[in-house]
Amino acid sequence: MLDYLVSIALTAGIYAIFALGLNLQWGYAGLLNFGHVAFMAMGAYVTVLLSMNGIPLLPAVLAGMILAGAAGAFLGMATLRLREDYLAIVTIGFSEILRFILLNWSSLTRGSFGLFGYPRPFQDLVGIRDYNLFLAGLVLAVLLLVYMLLETLARSPWGRVLKSIRDDEAVAISLGKNAFSYKVQALALGSAIAALSGSLLAFYLQYINPNNFQPIETFYAWIMVIMGGSGNNRGTILGALILWGFFSTTRFMEGYLSFSPTASSGARMVLIGLILIGMMMFRPQGLLGRKEELSIGK
Amino acid sequence: MEQLIANGIIYGCIIALAAIGLSLAYRILNFANFAHGEFLTLGAYFALFFAASLDLGFLFACILAIAATAAFGVALDRLAWRPMRSSGANRTAIMILSIGVSIAIRNALIIFFRPDALRFPLPVSQGINIGGMTVTSLQVEVVLIAIAAMLLVHALLSRSTLGKSMRALADNPDLARISGINVDRVIRCTWAVSMGLAALAGIMYGLITHLNPNMGWSIILPMFAAAILGGIGNAYGAMAGGIIIGISQEISTAFLPAEYKIAVSFLIMIAVLLFRPRGLMGGG
Repeated sequence: MLDYLVSIALTAGIYAIFALGLNLQWGYAGLLNFGHVAFMAMGAYVTVLLSMNGIPLLPAVLAGMILAGAAGAFLGMATLRLREDYLAIVTIGFSEILRFILLNWSSLTRGSFGLFGYPRPFQDLVGIRDYNLFLAGLVLAVLLLVYMLLETLARSPWGRVLKSIRDDEAVAISLGKNAFSYKVQALALGSAIAALSGSLLAFYLQYINPNNFQPIETFYAWIMVIMGGSGNNRGTILGALILWGFFSTTRFMEGYLSFSPTASSGARMVLIGLILIGMMMFRPQGLLGRKEELSIGK
Repeated sequence: MEQLIANGIIYGCIIALAAIGLSLAYRILNFANFAHGEFLTLGAYFALFFAASLDLGFLFACILAIAATAAFGVALDRLAWRPMRSSGANRTAIMILSIGVSIAIRNALIIFFRPDALRFPLPVSQGINIGGMTVTSLQVEVVLIAIAAMLLVHALLSRSTLGKSMRALADNPDLARISGINVDRVIRCTWAVSMGLAALAGIMYGLITHLNPNMGWSIILPMFAAAILGGIGNAYGAMAGGIIIGISQEISTAFLPAEYKIAVSFLIMIAVLLFRPRGLMGGG
């Protein structure tokens, strides 16, 4: 039972942190980041590569966050003066290019063999037997911290300006707010949060591979954010739990259905696609979201 | 080098056909359609299915596949895009929906055809030598058909009433509506044209490489790069953009490992967005 709870805390918790970063960008700022997984991958790879080369873990994690934040800011600067679809196109492209680079830069990343045997926080102190329990606690603590940070930000003047830009950019600009700079900041901060979730994922998996960071991961985060209610941090965490429930239920059902593994994972992905379509058509505000807070569909 | 340019033109023609459909949809339906890659894949698999199940020759199977993909596009408009339009959802919601469509189609194909690479049931075509470049007769046919399709699109847009209505709708939807244009019909036709071209591009891509359920998704980036380079929404720009992207990607393989060629389209796209976001041929 405890093992079960620990595995929920780890998977759903890490994905909740990942999705909270997206909720800041999409829910608060209305930014279409379709390449969120790239920033998670940057966090994981930078942390692992630096720590394998003797850099202590805390600076290694921070370096990943800073690098991912800078990448997010750069992509924002290239596109945010244009129509919002360009950010979507460029971020989705970035996440694919990054995966190609990780796959092919073998001298650094060992390509599709992946990286393993890297340090994890306090692994000598805790010992291997209780390590997942410890890591689950760490993930929940980080989740709580990120959640509190985002809630504080949402209520701060910064968050209110961000929401006003999302709702009516012209009004915010006419009040003297630099909408472009606020959006770039939201993009950078959300990307840094994704990088943090990537470092935690690397600690949990003990093995990272470029194919852990497929484009579909981005859309899992989208489903979590939209299902819970865009702009609602608690909703995003709920969304992460629901999606985790979806995966464990469908895996459980696989045992009773005589599908081949490809067919059942294909069927699960078709369902994911249909969930995304259904949510956009029938309940774009999600479970806990408010329609007025939505940057889509007036 | 000549060989790389020849390969680039062949690949570029396919990207161009795909990018025209993407650009048309963007201009007239006003959103970036992330499911466009899957429409290529769908076209290719329809052709494979018809070629295997009907005994009517490969050419006829292709024509049937293009028609089937276009019909699928019209049905999808009825089921998804039109309800979204009439509920007043804006384009970001429709873009997210297009991601859902893309995931669903790609994985439905994985279920029905398995994820393995497949080939069209055609004999291997012989290489011929033109001015130091080796091309197969199949590749020459691909380029010729692509050029014919582009001329057809040009005729459609500039000469036909449908083309004029499409342009009117793109410029000013309200004005188009009150001047008696049947907006829903024009949108259905746009989907049919866009998806018909996508199917053609998908079949050609399958002919020069192979088929797998990921084939369309894997070239969505060059497609968008071509459309943006040409000025998104501009069909002629998309043609030019496609050829330029195709040639640049192939030439890059002379200096870089071939795995990175898709990164070349990404860099071109970023450069265009930074320095000339309207693209080469203006547009909106």
